[in-house]
Amino acid sequence: MSRADLAAGKVIRMSLPFRVQHLLLAILLTVLAVTGFALMYHENSLAQWLIRMEGGVHNRGIVHRVAAVLLMANLVHHVFYMLFSREGKPELRQLFITKRDIDDFLQSLRYNLGTATEYPPFGRYGYKEKFQYWGAAAGIVLISLTGLMLWGEEFSMRLFPKFVLDLAIIIHGYQGLLAFLVLFLWHLYNVHLHPSVFPMNPSWITGKVSVEWLREEHPLEYEKLKEEGVL
Amino acid sequence: MKRMRRPFLSAALIAASLFLAVPAGAVPPGVGECMDCHGDKTIEMSLPGGQTVSLYIDLQAYRSSVHGGGSCVTCHADASAPHGKLKKVSCDKCHGDAGKSYAGSAHGKLRAKGITDVPGCDGCHGKHDIRRPKDPVARTFRLNIAATCLRCHKDRALEPRYQHLPDQKLLAAYEQSVHGMASKKSGLLGSAVCVDCHGNHAILPGDQPRSATHRQKIPTMCGKCHPGILDQYERSVHGKGMRAGIAESPVCTDCHGEHTIAKIGDPSSSVSPRNIPKTCSGCHDEEGISTRYALPKKRFSSYMDSFHGIAVEYGMTKAANCSSCHGVHDILPSSDPASTVHKANIPKTCGKCHPNAGPNFAKGAVHVEVSPKKAMGVFAVRLFYTIFITALVILFVLHVGLELYGRWDRKRSGAPGGKERKP
Repeated sequence: MSRADLAAGKVIRMSLPFRVQHLLLAILLTVLAVTGFALMYHENSLAQWLIRMEGGVHNRGIVHRVAAVLLMANLVHHVFYMLFSREGKPELRQLFITKRDIDDFLQSLRYNLGTATEYPPFGRYGYKEKFQYWGAAAGIVLISLTGLMLWGEEFSMRLFPKFVLDLAIIIHGYQGLLAFLVLFLWHLYNVHLHPSVFPMNPSWITGKVSVEWLREEHPLEYEKLKEEGVL
Repeated sequence: MKRMRRPFLSAALIAASLFLAVPAGAVPPGVGECMDCHGDKTIEMSLPGGQTVSLYIDLQAYRSSVHGGGSCVTCHADASAPHGKLKKVSCDKCHGDAGKSYAGSAHGKLRAKGITDVPGCDGCHGKHDIRRPKDPVARTFRLNIAATCLRCHKDRALEPRYQHLPDQKLLAAYEQSVHGMASKKSGLLGSAVCVDCHGNHAILPGDQPRSATHRQKIPTMCGKCHPGILDQYERSVHGKGMRAGIAESPVCTDCHGEHTIAKIGDPSSSVSPRNIPKTCSGCHDEEGISTRYALPKKRFSSYMDSFHGIAVEYGMTKAANCSSCHGVHDILPSSDPASTVHKANIPKTCGKCHPNAGPNFAKGAVHVEVSPKKAMGVFAVRLFYTIFITALVILFVLHVGLELYGRWDRKRSGAPGGKERKP
């Protein structure tokens, strides 16, 4: 963290490797959603328009698969990064869901209902971020596995009865829908529309948030940085 | 033949000498005498309406016609020179069988009622220039028949006058059909022309049991030229149903069309890979037919939602359509061990395109009808996701709403607006 940043009241929240991973994830998921839903809702006129835009059903498939390969590569890279890198290891520890997160969640409800006097103080990641992270991780793993099964259909046919592939199609599609809704309703609300960040939490581009915001939204992290003498 | 000709010739000579003996006024005029007047290109007759009709006869055309060796009076028996209005010519005298067939036809019946828009003999065969059907210039030569029929049946002026006249556009479509193109463009004599299906003199609308194009007769009729296909059809579930008198069982034209029949490769064909799901589902997605014959339901929607269906819909025609698995003219129900979709044959049928699809793959339904009875797994997973996604969305909305409510509530009670702790 540079002196200039601190002077301007900014603190780094997303390092460059994470920003790159996040940006790739955002672009690839958008491409996958647009090409995927066009197929899933193929009887809808908007989907039919999309398929035409994507160069027909065959080219749509190619675009979808290219994006999928890049997404899986991104995922594998992320797993290694979180397990073995100097930056990733402590991040992963802080992302584990503990009993405290459940308590925090309940306390936030009570606070907003007016029966608790204090909003739960979060560390580096609050329950919202953790839920988002693990939800997305599980979703991407599931959707990748089913996607690979369907991609290598000649291979899958040797291993599985047809109804397993029927299930894979359903899971792949609905898991995609689930991921899309979580990202659109939950994530975009939290990083764009939530009163504390409106109109946008800039950290996905600049990597930085204001010290003031950190103290407000992640007080335990703020205090930790203070103790470590970073701030 | 030679022996016959001699007495005939001598009889003719005797007759000729007899004619020479009788007074000139009673002698029927010879062709030469008729042509004295009718060879004049300007000779006309006025009609009551003020129009004029040419009475010129092209002798050359008559002489080269099938009747050209005869004389005018053979048909115009009441003609003398000069003469007034003659009686209508009747061909029945010599062509009695054709006359009888014609009288029972749609054309003949209307003609008997005095409607002269319908063709009499001359309408199709011509008058003085009639040629044998084998003669390439004849109106009734195979390659000219469509033009002869369409002269009236493509005439838009006739359409409003006769309610039951078949749709002109449809008839004109014949020219673009595989049969029409084969005869018109390639000049193939073997291609079907109007009379091959409809008959000629006895032509009747298809809804009449005696018509050559009545439903019950269609497979046999097409089989005249397509015997191999007819053979397959007769053994199929559709052919057997038809022969058993089930009128709803499809005949050739139900899938292929009639005047619009096109090659499979033609995108406009009702049996092209892209159109065949629609064509089959014309019956197989029809509630009444499915119920009456206990056919499996939702065949169309389950296909269109499958990868095969989507691919075909968007023009990847190498993906399987109905006939890829079920067969074409030889379709059999899945309960028949000879059927391509019989349980035991499914691996082989799938294997045509997917070599790895063995007996293990063939477990479970091919058409996935999402219901607890037909596809429990798919149904359950879909239900789970639907509930899960709905619940999650509701919880999100509640959580967001609660957060905004809390903020608003604290602001109202004078506390700071955000998450700030109360002082």
